[in-house]
Amino acid sequence: MGKYLDKPASLKIDLMLRGIRIEDPVVQAWACGSSGVDILLPRDTLVNIPCREVFTRNSPYTIRRSGEDYFITDGRGEVPVKLVPKPAFCGGSTSTGVPFRDIAASHGSYTVVTPSKRCDFFRRSIECKYCAGNFNVADGPDRVYTVDEVLETVAAVLKEKTSGIIYLSIGFSPGDDGGIEFLKPYIAAVKKNFNCLVAVEALPPKENRWIDETYALGADSVLYNLEIFDKELFEIICPGRAALIGRKRYMEALGYAAKIFPNGTVASHLIVGLEPPGSTCMGIDFLTDMGVVPVLPIYRPSSEKDLRIEPLTTEIILPVYKHLYRAVKKKKVNLNWVRDLSMVTTPAEIRDLVDDSKGGLMDSFYKSRLGLKTAWGLSSLRRKLRVVDRDPDGEH
Amino acid sequence: MSVKIDTRPIWVLLGLKALRPLFFITLAASFVYIIGMPTPEGLTPEGQKAIAVFVVCLVLWVTNVIPLAITSILAIVLVPFLGVLSTRETYSLFGNEAVFFILGAFILAGAVMGSGLSTRVALYMLSRFGSSPKKLVMVIFLLSASLSFFMSEHAVAAMLFPIVLEISKSLGIRPGRSNYGRLLFLSLAWGCIIGGVATFLGGARVPLAVGILNEMTGRTIGFLDYAVAVFPLVVILLLLGFFILTRSFPLDIKGVEGAAEALGKRLRALGKIGYTEYAVGAVMVATVLAWMFLGRRLGLSSIALTSVVFLFVLKLVRWKDIEEYVNWGIILMYGGAIILGSSLHKSGAAEWMVNGVVGSWATSPWSVLLVFSLLALFLTEGMSNAAVIAVLLPASIAIADKLALDPVLVTYAIAVPAGLAFMFPMSTPANALAASSNYISMREMARAGIVVNVLAWVLFNLVAAFWWPLIGMGY
Ligand code: SF4
Repeated sequence: MGKYLDKPASLKIDLMLRGIRIEDPVVQAWACGSSGVDILLPRDTLVNIPCREVFTRNSPYTIRRSGEDYFITDGRGEVPVKLVPKPAFCGGSTSTGVPFRDIAASHGSYTVVTPSKRCDFFRRSIECKYCAGNFNVADGPDRVYTVDEVLETVAAVLKEKTSGIIYLSIGFSPGDDGGIEFLKPYIAAVKKNFNCLVAVEALPPKENRWIDETYALGADSVLYNLEIFDKELFEIICPGRAALIGRKRYMEALGYAAKIFPNGTVASHLIVGLEPPGSTCMGIDFLTDMGVVPVLPIYRPSSEKDLRIEPLTTEIILPVYKHLYRAVKKKKVNLNWVRDLSMVTTPAEIRDLVDDSKGGLMDSFYKSRLGLKTAWGLSSLRRKLRVVDRDPDGEH
Repeated sequence: MSVKIDTRPIWVLLGLKALRPLFFITLAASFVYIIGMPTPEGLTPEGQKAIAVFVVCLVLWVTNVIPLAITSILAIVLVPFLGVLSTRETYSLFGNEAVFFILGAFILAGAVMGSGLSTRVALYMLSRFGSSPKKLVMVIFLLSASLSFFMSEHAVAAMLFPIVLEISKSLGIRPGRSNYGRLLFLSLAWGCIIGGVATFLGGARVPLAVGILNEMTGRTIGFLDYAVAVFPLVVILLLLGFFILTRSFPLDIKGVEGAAEALGKRLRALGKIGYTEYAVGAVMVATVLAWMFLGRRLGLSSIALTSVVFLFVLKLVRWKDIEEYVNWGIILMYGGAIILGSSLHKSGAAEWMVNGVVGSWATSPWSVLLVFSLLALFLTEGMSNAAVIAVLLPASIAIADKLALDPVLVTYAIAVPAGLAFMFPMSTPANALAASSNYISMREMARAGIVVNVLAWVLFNLVAAFWWPLIGMGY
């Protein structure tokens, strides 16, 4: 058996780091057009494996097909896997002719919806150095999708019943609200029309009242991605975030959001590979202390112009993920929200690397459709109880 | 949307939610119990029912679990339903002059604000006279007060709030860290509160009190009479208020150049004064003069409504714009309060309650004034000032009757202190706005406010004892 093949979590990390070579024409056709291929590893571990980038040419991994079955092999052993069908909505478009895939992208149990590709950092040339440029208005039309277009997209996504969580994502916009005023009609419309959970991925607003508002509007989860914990590297790699928001404000906003949103629903990305692993571990401790779930994506340069860094190895990264699992367990951060993400290895997936527990009944329950409905119901009830209108009907 | 997230444990919130139905069930049971119990001696069956309605409304007004106006509607429904007053009589009380005066005042204030006149006056005064930190605070204080002589203090606070906020920002003072920030916002709030008690126009509570007085006794209070009666109180409170403010929060900045620039910019953005502003100003001045000199003869509400007609004849306002400024909830609330007051009086319930509950200690006119002004001052800190009047006035008029005290005096003793809530954000919208700026904390507001509250009570009673006899309203 190959080095990582027997543990899905470590295999996922290794695959994300090294990518995969696809020689089989059927699989090639399957992966065609996308940056990575979505594959289901054993133990229902979903991974998006890079297959087109230059670094994948040296990967030991390939996919082998035998009849209807697929295997990932590293030359020494192999494990059975399943190809995850591309969501059917990707082929559709809105009634105004916008392809759904321009507005939404599915990543396992969640779908990221971007109502606007705008990120003002690009206008000021202070964009994050690793940014793939999805939000780069300099490269494309400054398109803002209408609420109706977004609703049509979300309807198509939810019809497939693979994603139960809609992430509304927005880049940097000037103003104190962190983009919430802009997202407001979208959040409200999605909440009004669908019984799904909604997460907001934005930059921290200047004042905490916008975080209250985000929750009151119907967001079930919020992500303010710090990305880099090390102070100096944060300033170098994320000049816009450092200059216009500041690391301190990230911390404050995350700490405050963790008090407002339910346990385990406030998350922040820390990119593995853009700072020393020790610094990422310090970031993990800091975030979990506040009750925030650290989400650790791995940096994957996708083009020549991307940030050049020395590639890390799985041996170096694995302890960081193990540290993550131990930290969230120690701080009793709920893991049911951030799980089954194809682009990121989640703390829940690391469990089998650290202890032998299988996650228990609650875990399987929350993965089920009934669990998702229950989570939605509880989240709505909690909001009903917690949100107080400051402008009640009383007169003076 | 302005929201707050309650972060108390979920079980506490669930418990509190469960309390609401329990609250209404208990209230309904108490209502049925009071109606069903044997009628006490000296009380008529109608009086007993009126008391039951009063208790329900009192609880609802104090707790504010449903909007004040809806509690009033409940009173309007229950009074004829229980046969305390006939349906015709109940609804005709809604046509009380006070209700129409309030409606007229809302429309007039709406016209002044909508035309931009009030904002222009405010900006002009601030940029003209606010050349040093102390002067700027004084101008805000006096401007809030003097504008509240002519329009609702709530409207004045809402209008000046963004200007004061801009001043604070342009001065670079940080919320919660600067004495000057505290000073600016408390000057705004206290100016509005003190100015708001100076005339009938500062808030709708005085017209409401006069409405109840009129329904119960046939007596009334003139616009000018009222202003003269409270004049020394307002002047002394303004002086003392400013003194306490500047002592409690010593100045901690040296110049206000940034503010002058911001104010100048806003003023320039208004452009030059136009026909509408001149005309609205003229109508307003004529109205106030008519209230002062013809009020008794023509009636305050008739004058207000005539001016409203003029505004529309001269095409100075549009109904669509004015609707925004008319607080129909307050109008409903006042109509209901007058009906409730009348039902207590006409059924003999007010007199019976006074004899039984407060008869023993209210033995002299001055003790009635002392106690009721204190009660009003105390209750208004946690309760809507209109509700304070609706609750206290019928009983106090009945006491006045019993002691052969002029009911006009007790009307003052409740209507004036009911407007003097200095301590808490929930006491009055002016305080709520000041606190919402985050420049002043609730504790700081309460600490400074309690001093003025005590002073206001003492002063009110001194004015009643020494000034009123001089103008022919002694006791
Ligand atoms: S905030 Fe940074 S990562 Fe996000 S879109 Fe803007 S530049 Fe890219």
